[in-house]
Amino acid sequence: MNTEEILSLAEQIVKSGDWTTDVSRPKANQLDVKVNVVHELLPIVEGLRAKHLDYLSAIVGLDLGLQANEIEVLYFFCPEDAIVVLRVRIPRQNGSLPSLCEIAASAEVFERELREMFGIEITGLHETEHLYLPDDWPDGVYPLLKDFDPSMISTQTEKA
Amino acid sequence: METNSPSKGFTIPIGPQHPALKEPGFFKFVVDGEVITGASVRLGYAHRGIEKAAEQRNWVQDLYLIERICGICSHIHALAYCLAVEQLANVQAPPRAQAIRTLVAEMERIHSHLLWMGVSAHEAGFDTLFMFAWRDRERIMDMLESLTGNRVNYSANLLGGVKFDVDAAQAQSIRSGLDYLEERIRHYQDVVTHDEMFLQRTRGIGVMTRSLAEVMGAVGPTARASNVPRDLRATAPYAAYSQFPVKMILDTRGDLEARFEVRLEELLESIRLIRVILNGLPESELTIRLPRRIPAGETVVRLEAPRGEVFYFIKSNGTDKPERLKIRTPTICNMNSVVRLAVGHQLADAPMILAGIDPCFSCNDRMVEVSKVKDGSEHSMTWQELRQYGIDYYRRLSK
Repeated sequence: MNTEEILSLAEQIVKSGDWTTDVSRPKANQLDVKVNVVHELLPIVEGLRAKHLDYLSAIVGLDLGLQANEIEVLYFFCPEDAIVVLRVRIPRQNGSLPSLCEIAASAEVFERELREMFGIEITGLHETEHLYLPDDWPDGVYPLLKDFDPSMISTQTEKA
Repeated sequence: METNSPSKGFTIPIGPQHPALKEPGFFKFVVDGEVITGASVRLGYAHRGIEKAAEQRNWVQDLYLIERICGICSHIHALAYCLAVEQLANVQAPPRAQAIRTLVAEMERIHSHLLWMGVSAHEAGFDTLFMFAWRDRERIMDMLESLTGNRVNYSANLLGGVKFDVDAAQAQSIRSGLDYLEERIRHYQDVVTHDEMFLQRTRGIGVMTRSLAEVMGAVGPTARASNVPRDLRATAPYAAYSQFPVKMILDTRGDLEARFEVRLEELLESIRLIRVILNGLPESELTIRLPRRIPAGETVVRLEAPRGEVFYFIKSNGTDKPERLKIRTPTICNMNSVVRLAVGHQLADAPMILAGIDPCFSCNDRMVEVSKVKDGSEHSMTWQELRQYGIDYYRRLSK
C-alpha cells in the first residue's frame, strides 16, 4: 500500500461507524482525526488494528492551558510513512481515558507516562506504579501541566 | 510491564544502575530454579525533565539541549529537532547540508553498532571480540573527530543547515578508514556466525516472532531481525536518503544471532552509503536563513536512529519558545519486548537478552540482589558475578 491508500483506508475506517469524528488532512502524509466522544476511541483503534494500521508510534499529551481547561491527547499511529493522529480532549481535572493495552500492548508505557505527567486517569491500566518519576514524588503534582511549579516538590535528598 | 505475578519463586532485582546510558533501568526477574517466569521493568533513574526544560528555552538554546539527550546518538536527536523546526518554519536545508547530515548519521550508526557489538560480546564472555570491536570503533570516532571536531556530541547541525563542509582531504581519509573497517566487519561476520562457543549464547536464544515484534511495537534492528520491515530510511526517507537510497536489512529468525547479523550487515550498508555520498556530494550552500519567528503549528518527525525509530513532536505557539516538545526514543519501545522475551529463558541468558536490544549500557558495576523468598534469607551478586554465572553456566553445559 502506498501512503495515499493507507490514509484513505484509515479515513474509511474512522468514517464507517456512527462515530462523531472530524477528519482533516493537514499534510500530504498525515490524517488528523478528532474523536469527539472519548468512548469511541477504543472501537476506532480496533478498526485500525483490523486493517493492520495499528503500529502505535507514540501517545502525546498537550496541556492546552488554564483558560481552555482541557488536555488534548494525541495517538500517533504510523503505518509505513503515513501518520494517523487520533485527537481526544478531556478536562484538565479528573479527566480519564480508556486504556489501549488490550488492543495495542505497546501503549502501556505511554499511558503510564500520561498518568504521571498529566494526572490523567487511565481506566483498565494494570500497572500504575511510577515509570519515570521518583518513588517519593508528591501525589497530585504533574510536571508537564503548564501550571507546574518546581518549588512544589522537595525530594528526599533536599530534605535530608 | 509485568508479565507474571511475582508470588512464586525467587525475585531477582537487577539495577537500577543497569542497562542504559540515558535510561538506566531496574529489572525484576522472577525465577523458578533456573528458569525466568516473570519480569518487570522500572525506568526513570536518569529522567532529567528535558521535555519540560525545552519549553523554557528558546529555539536555538533547545538545539544544544537536545543534542545532549544521548552521547551515543547525539546527531540523530539534533537532526530530528532541526528537521522539525525547519518544517515549522517552512524552509528546507540546502542539498549539500542534507547530504552531510546523512553522512554524519551513517558514521554515527557505525560507531553505535560497533559499540553494541563489543558490549554484547562482553556479556557473552567473549572479551576478545569486545576489545577488537572497540579498538576498531576508535577508528570511526577519529574520523568523526577529524570531520566535526568532536568524538561525541558532534554538533554538526544548525537550524537551517550544517556547520562544516567536507573537503577532499577529509573525504580521502574517511575512505581509507572505511576500507579498513569493511575488512574488519567481514571478519566479525565470520566470527559471530561460525564461533561455536559464541553461537551457543546466541543461536535460538531470545527468539522474537514477527507477530510478537509487531504487537510489542519493536523498532530498529531488533524488529528487523524478526523480519518486521521497519526502517524509516527506506520506508519514509528524510534528509538525503531519497537521493542516496538505503537497502533494508531483514532476517527471519528473530534470535540473538539474527540481531548480530542484521547489525553487521547494516554496518556494511552504511559503509557503502557513505562512499556513495562522498562521491556524489551535491554542490550548494551549507545553510539557509530561517525566519526570525517560528510560525505557530504542529509537526511530527520520525527518523531512524541506530537503535530504531526516534519520534519528535513539536508544537509551536509562534513565540520564541516551543509550546511542547515530545521525544520518544527507540529503547522504550524495545524494552517492552525484552520483558516478554526473558520469560521462559534461563537466568544465564538474561544479560544477553537485555544486551540484544542495544539499550546503551553505561554502568558496569551494577548491584544485583538475590532474595530467597522461601526462607527469607538474602545475598547479593554484582552484575559481574551474574555475568560470570552466565558464562560458567554455559561452560558446564558444553562439557
